[in-house]
Amino acid sequence: MRQWGEAMNITVNGQVHTVDVEPEMPLLWVLRDELGITGPRYGCGISMCGACTVHVNGLAVRSCSLPVGDVTGPVTTIEGLGTPESLHAVQEAWIEHQVAQCGYCQSGQIMSAASFLMTNPNPSDEAIDQALSANLCRCGTYPRIRQAVKTASAKLRGDAS
Amino acid sequence: MSRLGKITRRTFLIGSATIAGGVAFGYYMYRRPHENPLLDDLAEGEAALTPYVKIDAEGVTLITPRTDLGQGAYSVQAALIAEELDIGLDQVRVDPGPPAPAYYNTALAAESVPVRSTNDGAMANTVRGVADAVMKFAGVHVTGGSSTVPDSYEKLRYAGAVARETLKRAASERTGLPVSRLKTEQGAVVLPDGSRLSYVELAAQAAQVEPVTDVELRPPNLWRMIGQPMQRHDIVAKSTGTAVYGIDLAVEGMVHATIKLNPRQGGSLQDYDATEALAMRGVQQVIPVTGGVGVIADNTWRAFKAAEAIRFDWGPAPYPNDMDEHWAALSNAFNEDQIDARRRDEGNVVEALDRASEVVEAEYRAPYLAHAPLEPINAIVRVNPDRVDVWTGTQIPRFVQANVAKIVGVDSEQVHIHNQMVGGSFGHRLEDEVVKRAAELAKALPGTPVKLVYSREEDMRHDFPRQIAMARGRGSVRDGRVEAYDLGVAMPSVTASQLSRQGLNVPGPDLQIIAGAWDQPFSIPHYRMTGYRADGLAPISSWRSVGASSNGFFHDCFLDELIHAAGADPMEERIRLCWHEPSRQVLETVKAMSGWTGPRISENRGRGVAFCLSFGVACAEVVEVTQTDRGIRIDTVYVAAEVGRVLDPINFENQVQGGVIWGLGHAMNCEITYADGQAEQTNYHAYPGLRLYQTPDIVVQGLENGDKVLGVGEPPVPPAGAALANAIFALTGQRIREMPLNKHIRFV
Amino acid sequence: MKRVLTGFAALVLAAVALAEDPALEHWSKIYEVFSHPRCANCHVGDDHIPRWSGEHYGEPQPHGMNINADRSRIGAESVLCSTCHTQQNSPEPHGAPGAHVWLLAPVEMQWWDKSSREVCQQIQDPDRNGGRTLQAVADHIRHDELVHWGWDPGPGREPAPYSPEEVAVFIEQWAGAGAVCPEAS
Repeated sequence: MRQWGEAMNITVNGQVHTVDVEPEMPLLWVLRDELGITGPRYGCGISMCGACTVHVNGLAVRSCSLPVGDVTGPVTTIEGLGTPESLHAVQEAWIEHQVAQCGYCQSGQIMSAASFLMTNPNPSDEAIDQALSANLCRCGTYPRIRQAVKTASAKLRGDAS
Repeated sequence: MSRLGKITRRTFLIGSATIAGGVAFGYYMYRRPHENPLLDDLAEGEAALTPYVKIDAEGVTLITPRTDLGQGAYSVQAALIAEELDIGLDQVRVDPGPPAPAYYNTALAAESVPVRSTNDGAMANTVRGVADAVMKFAGVHVTGGSSTVPDSYEKLRYAGAVARETLKRAASERTGLPVSRLKTEQGAVVLPDGSRLSYVELAAQAAQVEPVTDVELRPPNLWRMIGQPMQRHDIVAKSTGTAVYGIDLAVEGMVHATIKLNPRQGGSLQDYDATEALAMRGVQQVIPVTGGVGVIADNTWRAFKAAEAIRFDWGPAPYPNDMDEHWAALSNAFNEDQIDARRRDEGNVVEALDRASEVVEAEYRAPYLAHAPLEPINAIVRVNPDRVDVWTGTQIPRFVQANVAKIVGVDSEQVHIHNQMVGGSFGHRLEDEVVKRAAELAKALPGTPVKLVYSREEDMRHDFPRQIAMARGRGSVRDGRVEAYDLGVAMPSVTASQLSRQGLNVPGPDLQIIAGAWDQPFSIPHYRMTGYRADGLAPISSWRSVGASSNGFFHDCFLDELIHAAGADPMEERIRLCWHEPSRQVLETVKAMSGWTGPRISENRGRGVAFCLSFGVACAEVVEVTQTDRGIRIDTVYVAAEVGRVLDPINFENQVQGGVIWGLGHAMNCEITYADGQAEQTNYHAYPGLRLYQTPDIVVQGLENGDKVLGVGEPPVPPAGAALANAIFALTGQRIREMPLNKHIRFV
Repeated sequence: MKRVLTGFAALVLAAVALAEDPALEHWSKIYEVFSHPRCANCHVGDDHIPRWSGEHYGEPQPHGMNINADRSRIGAESVLCSTCHTQQNSPEPHGAPGAHVWLLAPVEMQWWDKSSREVCQQIQDPDRNGGRTLQAVADHIRHDELVHWGWDPGPGREPAPYSPEEVAVFIEQWAGAGAVCPEAS
């Protein structure tokens, strides 16, 4: 872990930022309050809801619980996964199925789904129920999340072939 | 701005021939019971006549005053206007508008008067009309009670039609062509030769013509948008992280704040020591507020950590410390002196039970429940000498305005509310304590915007939960039929508790104490419903479906007990008992959807049905469960609901599924309990709601037989837990009368 | 009849042994540690479901959120453990615990739901203890970072009893005394 008071570089969505924060500050608060990147949301602060999910080195992590000093590689947030003009396949699927209600959890749902589909491109229903149950949605959009993950899986496999 | 200034400005805007800007239209143009709130905030070059449609050089803006809490309210409201205005939803901006009495909520009034929603007699409508007038008088601008759709259904279409016809009149004046030869489509008036005058081009001229208020609404068979699947206007933003919620907002020069309040809700702050906190990096100040302190820092996390480092001496809870005392208060409330209202008394329950050979008796319990929407409550307040700005997501903007004005010591007119996108509410944002605390902090830091964010733990500790409730049923059966049904429900008054925080004293009985039970459309020979009021318990608030959230469970489960005691089929007996045709259709529909053949499906599978009429919506659900080696699994839920008209089938399905999931998740897995006066559940580890793996398939059907268009945010909630408990009974013979059900059942 | 007598005789012998055999006294302390939730919750069997326990959970129960670490024992098939479990314990109450590596013990090392005798036999079977001698097991407990997490489990969790060094010594003493296992109870 880096030492107190030492400025550190962090790469977010391909851009290098220099931040001077305590190394134990969770990545989430560096993104939100220091860099103004607010797509990762604060919901629980203890890895219970998943709204803060980002990718580090391409894999999903809960940014609310990851000390920024432990970030070992490039960070991708929902804003870097795809944009309204250039959507990621998972985002396309989320829009097609109109998954969101309040939408607050959906950044994390989408980042979790994208990471999951990278390691498990053609998941069974059971695997989907395992992979997406660590992300909480209070509005109850789960039926649509299930459908959207399947659609995204088909899109990603179609793109790959 | 002074009153004179406003009038002058409006006169100028309407009367002047030199306006370059735009125009605003609304239903209120021809009734005009309240001042047009858009006049207060018009920029140079904008015009506003009435409050739902605004057209300026930038384009067309639809004002959708009911807060979007995730239920798609903005899109539905926009579609209602756009349907008559002949404009695509991709051609408009949507703006919640300022808080104003003109946006008063008439539909909410319908739920606050003791007239059964199945009763359409003249007397009933007169009584509803009185409550409506009261709402209008008070100018209550509130989102809640599944009222957005019924409230908006005509109002907003009129607004669109008035705007359309006025734009056509303006085009007629400009071109000299008669209005009858003009058409509208896709945001423009179309001339006979096919050329187009866009609404934006016509806006300035439209501001000068007398608005056309004698308009007719289009018949539903000509609708192009309403009733069709629509893409929510916010769906791309919410799928790309670009949606900005209140908690995401940054205002120039703001500081980050959090709060630590007495964990005993409403208790006092006796003393505190912030020495350690003040020495921490980024911490600027610790400021006392009502019931605790606020921490001002340069980063939310630093504020959180500093708040944890403060040592406090808290006062006692203003309610019983432990759950035994809460339950005892409810248990003791079943007496003549604590009767809140006896809202139904048909036949002679006392005699019928006296002569019954066997009396079925049962006691039911429903716990306190947190709202716990995923976005913790937050607000930004900036106090300047001439104005106060508030950025927050709220369902009660006018109360917020008044409360902030009082705290800061300014006139309400000087408080400007900027309503924000909300990460869930479920009733949580019918409270505004967060804004009051932010105003206290901002008042101490004049000129500096203070962004107050509650930690999850502070949010859950200071949620005003759903009411705790207890019910006692006595009943009897005869000849295979339900003969007598007597139910008493004891709870605190949610209405009194909630409105007391707005300084309002609500005299008389509280309909919520017996809502979802007293007005069920069943004919039982001897049928009585009594509400008992228990005061002095923890402060509570409206929680998705309010009184019906507990009472729907009580009423239907006890009915199920009696039906089983009678040896009747749970579905057939409900249908036989139901006298209300639309409700019976709902039961018949869910029977057909689920392929109902009885409560037992197979050796290890069972099903239960439940019905609840709430917020005017008849809703029936069938839950199918399987016994596995690891516990009970919920396979499928079938839902039928009578809503008059389904405005958007996708949003409708999403709302109903969400309501079922809300009802099931809390009935299965959640409670808030107090120990030493403090809520014991402070985060989702102890309050999981429902997660994806426990979510069943949910098959939804909307019925459109009724003559009223009704909202569906809440009505699917009350039957869900009841249908599940009834299904568990059908499968296992175990009658669970207490939520959460996981105290007695392991779910997989 | 003969089998009953044999069983009875074994019980008597076991009782005598328990009272007198120093190896069994050492083992009972070792089992006290191995069966403690801080250890057994992650030494689970082929359901691959980690267990949770703590003040809010009552008895140990399946990890919430439908978590399954699967055959990889690190959740690679669905949700990686490292999604939530970082390299250190969360300082927040009820936050996720963490260590330099975070994974379930190999499935053949199951302690969850196993009797004292079963665990005792497993720990000295090289096929089921990672190919270790008992001295190597003691050293593993003495030095392995993830094992040490059991004594530093983060806020709100009860640590395993004794200390890693004490447990390593118990194993050495138990091995020195013949590594006797208790009879089936």
